[in-house]
Amino acid sequence: MTAAPTAATDNVILLETRELGFYRQDEPVFASLNFRLRSGELGLIEGDNGSGKTTLMRILAGLLHVDEGELYWHGQPLQREHCVGEVLFLGHQLGLKADLSPSENLQVAVGLHGYRAQTTLSAALAEVGLSGYDDEPVRRLSAGQKKRAALARLVLLPATLWLLDEPYANLDRTGIALVNRLLEEHLARDGAALVTSHGAVSFHGGEPQRIRMHA
Amino acid sequence: MSRPGLANACAAMLRRDLTLAWRRRGDIAMPVLYALIVTMLFPFALGPEDTLLQRIAGGVVLVTILLAMLLALDAMFSSDIEDGSLEQLVLAPQPLALMLAVKILAHWLTTALPLIVISPLLAGMLHLPTAVMPVLVLALLLSTPMLSLLGAILVALTAGTRRSGMLLALMLLPLCVPVVIFAAGAVAASQQGLPWLAPIAWLGAALVLLLVLAPLACAAALRIALDA
Repeated sequence: MTAAPTAATDNVILLETRELGFYRQDEPVFASLNFRLRSGELGLIEGDNGSGKTTLMRILAGLLHVDEGELYWHGQPLQREHCVGEVLFLGHQLGLKADLSPSENLQVAVGLHGYRAQTTLSAALAEVGLSGYDDEPVRRLSAGQKKRAALARLVLLPATLWLLDEPYANLDRTGIALVNRLLEEHLARDGAALVTSHGAVSFHGGEPQRIRMHA
Repeated sequence: MSRPGLANACAAMLRRDLTLAWRRRGDIAMPVLYALIVTMLFPFALGPEDTLLQRIAGGVVLVTILLAMLLALDAMFSSDIEDGSLEQLVLAPQPLALMLAVKILAHWLTTALPLIVISPLLAGMLHLPTAVMPVLVLALLLSTPMLSLLGAILVALTAGTRRSGMLLALMLLPLCVPVVIFAAGAVAASQQGLPWLAPIAWLGAALVLLLVLAPLACAAALRIALDA
């Protein structure tokens, strides 16, 4: 596991893992993972299929328990209550209700998380390119449009750390550019993000920290 | 950034679940039709004898409504688990138990309430005296939320297992025995002109207990279900 130093070394360390490991039936999925993520920094999680990228995301989001090693959030051992509402997780399952329209889905998310300052629902939908689909249930949208509807949560909700599992999947070229733009804006706000991806990430900010997964 | 209040979050959840139920209103009608048909079968099977039907009416309506609720129970969290909404709910900065309580309330409103509304009709089909109807409706108003809450715990526990429907019935029905005994007891007492308040009060007390404990148990069970 490597953690190359990046441009943002003077910022606060948001998240730190020490010798993090996870086992399934005593077989290690990954082991001794060490990295530090500072605010304003992007971490790119790399690894083959089955190397535990999604598992790592779910652990960091607090959905899976920690098997081995330690997790620190702002220098304190991570507890759910501390980081609740500060982490935004976008997984393979998008968390959208198929019978509701994109804006109805976002209203629920906003009801639970609240708005980020200076955002509105319609502006968020326009930003992800879904402004004409207000009354369309999510089930009638294409896979890429569903993804965009989920990405609107990134625009709308307040959070410091974004955990994005395969954010580029199903997206066209403008969609990929959209994800990169959202990431750049988020890092410029001193947020941090961890991203898993198979594809090439052409990121215009600083060089992302590469986190390599291995058993 | 502004964190929304609990009331806002509860309202958003309730509105979401009720909207979803309304978009699939055919599913709401299903348990109602089921209860109607099952109740109709009894006079056919036992003969249209007034005294016999009157004696069993309360119990038949209660058990029929219990079984009808069972039909709709395993859908309580399953779609939320499939589409990832539950993950988002767990990660939201709101108390999970309270959010689940709101979901259970929405489920009760969309499955049990229609059944309670038609319960006088069901009881009337079995010649239950009109004077007993209010007691029956009162017993149902207290016992059906208990079934929803007990059911929610079991649905949460069996979440993630395949073909959980039958398992759910086998686990839930034994737990419902006390509920059925007190509810049917109240109806029978009222039918015989005896005081019926005591069993109703027992139902109320048990409901309060479950209202407090069941959402907490659901939250713990669903966290475990996701941690796999």
